[in-house]
Parts: sequence; C-alpha cells; structure tokens
Amino acid sequence: MRNEETRNLGTPAIRFKNVEVKVKRKRVLADVSFEIEAGCLAGLLGPNGAGKSTLMRLMTGLMVPDRGDVELFGRPADPSRLGEVSFLPDRGQLPAHLTAGEWLGFAARLYPDWDGAREAELAEKLGVERSKRIGSLSRGEEARLQLLTCLSRQAPLIILDEPFTGVDLLSRERIASAVVGDMADGRRTFLIATHDIREMEQLFDRIVLIGDGTIRGSYEVDELRSSGRSVESCYREVFA
Amino acid sequence: MPPIRTWTMDDFRLDPSRPLYEQFVEQIRAMIAKGELEPGTRLPSVRETAASLRVNPTTVMKTYQELERLSLIVTYRGQGTFVTEEEEAIRRSRKELAVAAVRQMEETAKSIGLTLEQLWALAREKE
Repeated sequence: MRNEETRNLGTPAIRFKNVEVKVKRKRVLADVSFEIEAGCLAGLLGPNGAGKSTLMRLMTGLMVPDRGDVELFGRPADPSRLGEVSFLPDRGQLPAHLTAGEWLGFAARLYPDWDGAREAELAEKLGVERSKRIGSLSRGEEARLQLLTCLSRQAPLIILDEPFTGVDLLSRERIASAVVGDMADGRRTFLIATHDIREMEQLFDRIVLIGDGTIRGSYEVDELRSSGRSVESCYREVFA
Repeated sequence: MPPIRTWTMDDFRLDPSRPLYEQFVEQIRAMIAKGELEPGTRLPSVRETAASLRVNPTTVMKTYQELERLSLIVTYRGQGTFVTEEEEAIRRSRKELAVAAVRQMEETAKSIGLTLEQLWALAREKE
C-alpha cells in the first residue's frame, strides 16, 4: 500500500537503460532500453533464447547487468526490493512432497505481503485443490498453483515468465481470467513473457519485442490496432 | 429485479487488427438497438467483464465510457452499470446506426456508378 502512495505518478514501473549482459564473454543482452508504465499489462515477446528470462532476472536484482541501469518505480533494482516484485520463474518448481494447502500455508508465512483473503478468492477462481499433493499435479494444475502463489501477494509488480508453457487450454483460460481480474483496479503492473501470442494478445496494453538480445520494438497495442495491425502481424513482421 | 446480463466470448466477434473497444462498442450498441439487451438490464462490472472475456480492463473501461458518452448505459455509484431506460437515447442511437449504414450503401452504389435509389431498384428488379 505504502509503495503505491509514495510512488510518483508518471514514473515508469520498469525502466531499462542501455543494459548489457555478457555470459562467458557472449553478449546475451545488448544496449537494451525500454520502459513499462505503472498499472499496465505488458507482454515481453520473442522467440526462445531471445533473452527474455535474463531480462526478467535483472528485474529481481538477482542478476546484475555488466553495463546500464535497471530501475523499478524510479529506483535501482536490487535483491532488497524483492518485496515489491512477485516473480513466477520459467519451470520453477514447488516442493513435490507438500500438498497444495501446505505449500500455501508455508508461502503465507514466508511472504510478509501475503493477502489471505485474496488467496481464498483466487484459489476458488483458479480451481486449486488444497488437498492434492504437488507431486501429483498436472502441469496445468501446478501452473495455476504457482500463479496463485504469485498473485496472493500484494507486491506492486508481477513478473510471469512463460506462465503457459505446457499448460492445457482450460488452465490457460483460467490463468488469463485471473490475471485480468486481478489487475482491474489498476494498482498492479504486470510483465508477462511468452511466445504464445494468440492466447494473450487481447490482454496486453503494451508489447516489447525482443530478439537476439536486443529490443526490436515497443508498441502500445491500441495504437498498433488503430493502424490496422494486430499483435500477431507485428510479431511476424519483426521476427519472420 | 432488473434482468442481469453476463458476457461470454461467444457474444462478440473480434478482429485483432482493430481497436477492441471500438468493436465492443459497436456490438453492444447493436444489441441495445435490437432490443436483445433490454432497457434497465444490469451489466457486469469492468473487473467481471475483463475476466470473463479475457481482455484488458482498460479495454472494458473505454468501452463503458464510450457507451456512457452515447447515453446508452448509465452507472450508479455503488449499484452498478445499466442499459438506459431512456427510449429517446436508444432511438437516437438506432437512427445514427441507420444513417451510417445508408451512407455506406451510398458509397457502394457510387462505386458502381449508381445512386442509392438506382442500386435498390436494380437489386430488386425481376429477371
């Protein structure tokens, strides 16, 4: 709550400025600059290996750029700010021996910004069964539990890395509904990395396209559509 | 109790290369003109609509704002959003739709060198 009130209006939620990352002398990100406005739902789109996951790790502060700046709400990203970021990593794993309910109880104690009322509401919307053991969940059920974990926190910035990979259609729909329902009050900012455009293109208000470690474009989706283009056609133009 | 409407994806046909809120406005406007959405019908909130249609809440907000500007829906604080009960607003909207449709037909007629009346007559002419 306090974060929202003290945050300057107009300060972007995410800001990358001339960011460069090298891994073993190979450039993974080169001169990456873009901004995401607070309160919007942005898509980070690009093929596999484009640098999406690296970019997301930089936002958590768990990885430091070789050059350039990464800022969240006007201040440098840093592990001390993890309380402001709710991150769903790609292929993240939850402890298989716990039940979903046990895991949620654990998460509620782990995260100081856990919101029990929201957890209860979202668990129902997402159809999470508390008594099921995590090790026996389908990929779609586990993805819904992971999203529930992310959204039950009050963090102002939600970062989801490929939340749809290997997830069945009905789970994808439930995840998408939960995301838009959750952001409706405009207090949170979402960045979702995906290469699964069709499922998500109606959700985004901004898209950032990344390929080979460089930003290939950043568009407001309504402006794209006003010029007769769709998210998908834009993606094709850039990456085909 | 007024009728309550909930939206499903099947209520709308969307073209991803046109602004979505424009298409929602057009299609809801048509539902009201047709009477498929009765005066006084309660519409779901922005949040519910965004979740059930899986579109960005901003899109729904813009849609409702535009329909409000057209006086086709009204929002009462704490009560919700309803289709207007003012017959005059609905009549005016229907007339605007009719005028736009005729204008478009005139364009079509012109493109094949006819007036609207000639187009009409020709189309109805018996072989």
